[in-house]
Parts: sequence; C-alpha cells; structure tokens
Amino acid sequence: MPKFTRRRLLQTGLATGAALATARCGTPNNPAPGPEVNTNSIKDVTLRFIGTGVAQINDIRDKAQEDLGFKIELKALSTEENNQIAITQPGQYDMFDGEYFSLPLVIPSGNLQAIDVKRIKSFDKIASFFTTGDFNGLPVETAQGTAPIKVMYLSDQNSSEFSATPTDWATLIPFQYNADTLGYRPDLVDKEITSWADLFDPAFNGKTSILDIPSIGIMDAALVVEAAGLMTFGDKGNMTREEIDQITEILIEKKREGQFRAFWKTFDESVNLMSSGEVVLQSMWSPAVTAVKAQGIECVYAPLKEGYRAWGGGIGMSAALEGAKLDAAYAYMDWLLDGWVGAFLGRQGYYSAVPENAKKFMSAEEWDFWYEGKPAAVDMVDPFGKTLEKAGAVRDGGSFEERMGNVVVWNSTMDEQVYLVQKWNEFIAA
Amino acid sequence: MIKLLLTAFFALFVLFLYGPMLAIFTLSLQGPDGALTFPVRSFGFYWLGQVFQEQRVGSFVESFQRSLWLGLAVVAIAIIVSVMASMAFRARFKGSLALFYLTISSLVVPGVLISLGIGITFQVLDIQTNWFSSGLGAHLTWTVPFAFLIMLGVFNRFNPYYEEAARDLGAGEVRTFQEVVLPLILPSLIGIALLGFTLSYDEFIRTSLVSGQYNTLPLEIFGMTTNVTSPALYALGTLTTLFSVTMIAVGFGAYKSLSRQ
Amino acid sequence: MYKSWKVLQPYLLATPQTLIFLMFLVFPILMIFVVSFWQFNGYAMTPAFTFENYVNIFSSQVSLATYLNTFKYVTLVWGLCVAIALPVSYYLAFCIKRESIRVLLFLLCTIPFWTSNIIRMISWIPLLGREGLVNQALLNLNLVQQPVEWLLYSDFAIVLGMVHLYNFFMIAPVFNSMMRIDRTLITAARDMGASGFEVLKEIILPLTAPGMAIGSIFVVTLTMGEYVTVRLMGGGQAASIGKLISTQIGSLQYPLAAANAVILLLFTLVMVTGILRVVDIQKEL
Repeated sequence: MPKFTRRRLLQTGLATGAALATARCGTPNNPAPGPEVNTNSIKDVTLRFIGTGVAQINDIRDKAQEDLGFKIELKALSTEENNQIAITQPGQYDMFDGEYFSLPLVIPSGNLQAIDVKRIKSFDKIASFFTTGDFNGLPVETAQGTAPIKVMYLSDQNSSEFSATPTDWATLIPFQYNADTLGYRPDLVDKEITSWADLFDPAFNGKTSILDIPSIGIMDAALVVEAAGLMTFGDKGNMTREEIDQITEILIEKKREGQFRAFWKTFDESVNLMSSGEVVLQSMWSPAVTAVKAQGIECVYAPLKEGYRAWGGGIGMSAALEGAKLDAAYAYMDWLLDGWVGAFLGRQGYYSAVPENAKKFMSAEEWDFWYEGKPAAVDMVDPFGKTLEKAGAVRDGGSFEERMGNVVVWNSTMDEQVYLVQKWNEFIAA
Repeated sequence: MIKLLLTAFFALFVLFLYGPMLAIFTLSLQGPDGALTFPVRSFGFYWLGQVFQEQRVGSFVESFQRSLWLGLAVVAIAIIVSVMASMAFRARFKGSLALFYLTISSLVVPGVLISLGIGITFQVLDIQTNWFSSGLGAHLTWTVPFAFLIMLGVFNRFNPYYEEAARDLGAGEVRTFQEVVLPLILPSLIGIALLGFTLSYDEFIRTSLVSGQYNTLPLEIFGMTTNVTSPALYALGTLTTLFSVTMIAVGFGAYKSLSRQ
Repeated sequence: MYKSWKVLQPYLLATPQTLIFLMFLVFPILMIFVVSFWQFNGYAMTPAFTFENYVNIFSSQVSLATYLNTFKYVTLVWGLCVAIALPVSYYLAFCIKRESIRVLLFLLCTIPFWTSNIIRMISWIPLLGREGLVNQALLNLNLVQQPVEWLLYSDFAIVLGMVHLYNFFMIAPVFNSMMRIDRTLITAARDMGASGFEVLKEIILPLTAPGMAIGSIFVVTLTMGEYVTVRLMGGGQAASIGKLISTQIGSLQYPLAAANAVILLLFTLVMVTGILRVVDIQKEL
C-alpha cells in the first residue's frame, strides 16, 4: 500500500482526494465526502486540545501538524483537572479528550457541541460496544456503570438528553480505551494474582495502592470488596447511599489497618510507585504496566477471574467551534481514527477505536501481539524506542476480544455522585 | 564546648538543607539508562540535554519563558507600586493604617484562598483566566507586600535632609526623586527584585487555579512529577537551581557594587 | 494649588497598591464568602443562601479530624522551625566573628530557598523511599532488617518536607533580630556577672521574640493552607484542610471548598492576631 499522508491527500486536489478517500474510508451508506475544507484558511487554525497524559504526546502533535497543516496545542492534565476545565473553563479548549463517565457532568454544562457522525469517515468501523452496545454476546454488553453506549448519543443536535438508541449526533468520538485490572511485581509478590480480592490480602499490607479518582477508584474498590465477599451491590455502577456508606466504611477500615501504601491520581504516579518498589500490587492502567516494563522491571497485568474494569476516552468539540475551526476539528478527528495514532497508542497497550485502521500502521507481528494475544514473534518496541517485551512473550489477558469482552464494569458517574465524592474524600482523608 | 555543639548543629542543618538536592544532582548526572532511584547506573550528561529536547508530554522551555516574563512583570509592577505606596507612608494620610493591615493580610491569607478566590471571581464574571492576567494578580498579592514592607523599612531609615537639600537647590519633585532618592534606594530595589522574582518564579499554590490555558514553570514541573518517569525531571531541578544561583550571584554582585558607590 | 497637591499626593501614591489588593485580594475573598452559601450539584453551582455547606463541615467527623490533623502539622512544623532557627541564628550572629564569613554562611542557608519548591520536595523521594539511600544505608549497617517504611508517605515525611521548605522564613527574621541586639548590652550583663544561660534568657530571647513572632506568622500561614507537600510527601493518604479544599475544587464542589476556605481563613486570622499581640510589626521594619 502506498504511503501517503492526509496532508498530501488534501493537496492532491479535490478529485483525486475524493477518490482516494472513498477508496479508503467510504462505506455504502456513508459516502465519504471530498475534502470540503478550504486548505488555505484551515492552515491558519490553531486547535487547542486538552486531555490526560495518555494522548497529549508531543510526537502525536508533530505528526498531526505535519499531516493536517494546521497547528495543534496540547495541554496534559490529570483526569480531574481535565473534567474540571471541560466544565468550568469552556474558553480554554477547542477539543476535549475526555472519558465517557465524565459526560453526565460535562454535557449539562452545554460546553460541548453534538458531533455529526455522518461527517466522521470511519464512524461505522468503530468498535461496536461504543456505537451499538453489542460485542459478540460477551459480558461487556451487560457491563455495569457508565458504559459508553449509555452516553454516546444525544437525542438531537441541540439536545442535552442522552439517547438510548443510536442517532446521528454523538457526544464524543471514541478514541482510545482499555480494560483495566491489577498490576503487580512478580519478583516481589510470591503468588499469582487471580482475583480482585488479593488487593486486600494481608500478605501485602502496606504495599498496595488504589487510585484516588472517585469515579474510577470506587469501581475498583467495589470489585475488590465484592470479590472478597465483604459486601454485595444491587448495581455497582449506580450505588445507593447505603451502599456508598458501607463501602467507604470497609475502605476506611482497611486504610486504618495500613493496607495501602499510597494513593495515586495520574498514571505515571502509579508507574513511579511500582518501579520504585513502594507498591507491589495496585490497580493500574495498561500503559503504566508497559512503562514499568520499559524500565527493565518485571510487571504483570493480571487477568482476574471477576473480569475487568474498562474506561473509554473520546474526543468532544467545544460548543464555540465554527467555520474553519470546526472543519479543522472534524479533519483532526478523522485523522485520529485514521490509524497512525491508533498504532502509536497501540504499541503502549491501548486499544484504538478503529482497530482495523490501526492495523494498517502496525506490523503483522505487532498486531498479533497487541490485538490477537499471540506470542510476540519479534521483540516488541514502544513508540519511544524502548523494548517492552522479548520475543515469545504473550500479552497479559490475551486477545482484544478476550480482554474487552470480559469487561464487567465501566468507570461511573452515579446518581449519587455528589454524595459519593463526599464519602470518597472522607476515605482519602480518614 | 557550646560553640562546638553549635557548629556541629549548623553543619547538620546544612546537610539537611542540601542532602536531598545533592541526591538529585547526582541522579541527574546519569547516562541514558539512568532511573529515578539509586543506585546510579552510569555517569553522563544525557538527561541535562534531554531537558532542552522535546519532552514526551509538555514543554519545559516554553513554561520557563512564561515564568521568566511573568517574574519580570511582577517585579516591575511590585517595585513601582511599593515605592509609590511607601513614599505615601512618609506623610500621614487617612486610611494608611487600613492599607498597612490590608498589605499584611495579603501575606497572611493562605495561598489556596487567593487561588480559589480569583478563580471563582473570574469564573463568575465569565472572564478567561490567564497567566498574564489572573496569574499576575495572584503573584502580586504575594510579592507586593514583601516589597512594600522592605521599602517601609528603607524609608524609615532614610534621611530626609538629602531631599530637602536638593529642593533647596531648586530641584523639582521628579528631579529630586531621580537624582537623590532613586540612587539611594537602588540597592534595596535590587534586593526586592531578586526576592520578588524568586517568589514569583517559584510560586505554585496561588497560581494553580488561575494560570489559565498555559502553565508556568512550577505548574509544569508539578505536572511532570506525575507525567514524567525519567531523570529529566531531576536534570530540570539541577538546571533551575543553577539558574537561581546565577541570579543570586548576579544580583548580589550588583548590590555590592551599587552600595559601595 | 501646590497645597492641595501636597495633600492629595499620598493618596495618589497609595492608590495603585490599594487597587491591586482590592482587585486580587479583597474582592476574591468576598466572592469566596458569597459562594460559600451557594448550592451545587455535580457540575455547576447555583446562587442561593444556604448554610448547608457549613452544616456539612461541622457535622462531619472527618472534617473535624482533618482540622485537628492540620493543627498537628502546624504545631510540629512551627516547633521544629523555631528549634532550628534559634541555634542556627545564634551561631551565625554570635559565634561567627568575621562579617564576610557570616554573610557567606547566611547565603548558604538561603540558596535552597531560591530553587523550586516542587523539585526540593521530590528530591526527598530517592533518599527516603523503601529502596532509597537512607534505607540502603540502614540495611547495610544492619541497623534494621526490613526497610523502614515510615520515612516516606507518612506524617514524618510531610513534616520533614515542610520544615525543609519553610525554615528559612523563620531563620531570616530571627537572625535579623539577633543581629540588631546591641552587643554592649551583653558585655555589660557579663561584667555584672550574668551566666551565659542568664544572658540568653534575660537578653537574647526577649529581644529575639519579635523576630520569632514574624517568623511564626510566615510559618503558620504557609503551613495552614499547604496541600502540595501533604500530597507529594504523604503519598495522597494524609489529610489537611488545604488538601481537602483542593480535592473539593478538583471535584467541582466549589461552594463546599469556599466554606472550608472561610473557616480556614478565620482560624488563620485568629492565630495571626494572637501573634501580633506580641509584636508591633511597624516597629520592626
């Protein structure tokens, strides 16, 4: 396949551009429009893009600027600050890379505009649990919590009501996501970790950690206490006040017993905790595990029998975008789904919204390792040139379908969100 | 005997002050295989160079420039404002005590209130926060009081005869200030500039909610502590320390030569 | 004409500074006060007049514990800063005879103060961590069998970090006060047969008190609202009012954060007024 960039594509002119685009991205019911954007005015555009450290990577920006011709400014934030700015400082960003669980709070603020899915070229190729909620009949279809499909669509362009069924108006365009679980240091933990309950194992007293973001931490905690048989929930993704009281009580008790070494808020904090040996078992994000491995330290991302907790990140557009900036934003979203970024993030262990596009930019060996769960045929190297896995290694948890299919909860915003945050803060401060 | 004990105590204190910094200096002078913790794997300047390279996330260079400009602006404003106000305090005027306590309270109010307050104000008034507007304001609440208190002290010890003499010789207000007052207070102004610059350059809590879309250096570093997992962070510490020491040396030299005149 | 200019002059000169404080200090704090009576949900705050936020704070066991914890940090940090500042300043002011050496040593104490606070804090981690230098040394010397855990991510680490950051604010004014003590006073006391201890108790300490008071104001106010050290050195596990406020801000509970900020401000002002009774700042400049 000839190597061409989207910028060259734009430059090649309308006719060829349209032809190429149709050939690559067109689907029968979604004929790809030609590059309707005016290349001259779009060049003057600067898009301000906020998000967490996951995708606010300078290499991605450089490549995007080269391919698209306009400027992109990044700002890497913690998950909390990211949501905070999305809600309270709409003037500070043009595009928002946020998690689906933030939407029940962000959408009512009116700071995002609905995304016309007809303008997103690869929309129909996006992993189906985002767009339709189905996924081969696997557990993820009934996962609890703020599953993306619950907040994926708005009932109308100007509505702030979520639609239970697909419409043409999306809140976020999925970007990258993963199934999270516990990570541990096999050199410092002398058994195989198979259950969320192991986080409360007295053997690891003072050597575990949990993440201090209420909407995410509470889900990990719920999986742990449920697996340990300490309590049961009606719906983990939407707890009642009594359930929140009970779980914080258990957590506070464990904290008093000294079970936790520290709490972390951003994924690199978890990397530092793990690689410095302060913590040997903790809830972790996949790239954090790869980052620990990149330092030459063994780290396992344990497949647990209870299943995974998933998160999904997507791109939203500021309500203030219009004209050339709006065109640029759509062009940027297309570019993000186009595969280069998917492959870039894939090499760190994230999944791309459109796996088949990412596949085009990955080597067959990489694809087999990261998505198919097959043993690495060659050494696996991350985008920054560090070797993560020697040939022969297998991805923890197996293939894309095995991992994402076994998601049992998503990060959640609950009806009792205000109360949850208050109780969570009490746990952290206790 | 007591003197010996005190010397030992002082030495321990200096060790306490510098120990951790020496640790990061050492860790920043590593080769590419260096890590965040001891032992040192190899010696090299790799990470010092990395600071100026593009980072994986964020940028030290741009945020350093912002902090530099912000620091200079803060110093300029703080000096002008505090010299004016402290000149006013040489005469009695109504409300002077109120202004004095207002200044003191600006020092005393915990930084998080300034940050939260300015943040909320801008939000409620629907104005964008920015490092050069709300950020500048937040820094002024921290630097102006220092500048003002130092200037009050300077004018307390200031001999008004020089000015009277100048006026007797027919110099106007402006000329008196330029040719008599200014040269006399110049060394103190350099001191204020140094102090004010450092206070602003290092300020974190007051800036944290009001820097807007772009980070100042301390905010960027704080972001880095959670986003960077390489000794580049320590290298940055080494470089900013060297930068500060150079600033002190230059400022101190200027102070010495000026006060000798 | 000239007369009225003379009368107006101080007001004009004082205007810019007053305006700065009105804009960036008084008005924002009034806003905090107003907002502390507002209501909020997960994403927005709405103007209202409710005491709910205050009721929430005063009825919660945890916020009470958090306030107590903050006072614990303040007391410990303040006490340690005084305990360090007195001997260090005394050594510099009275034991060093040569002026140039004194200046040099004083500069030595100030240099770390000029570098980034955040960097100074994270520089403790390679020293105090489970695999840090201190633990390695202790293990090698066979003083302990297991790495000592309370060195990092503990109250100890938090207090250590804050003392490291803020001791300068105590040393500078105390040193300044000591340098101003009239040396002939001490000589006279000695001639009259006073012991070293008596000189310390009757002359040096009383005359250093104003410096200590100013230093205390700095240390107390800096520690009261502190949250960065608490977060970084406490491993996210420890609580202080500053951290509580910042967590509440992080989860968009501005009115609750504002209510806490108002209470924090009241406590701080009470403490500072208490200290100000001891010293007349205007005299000390």
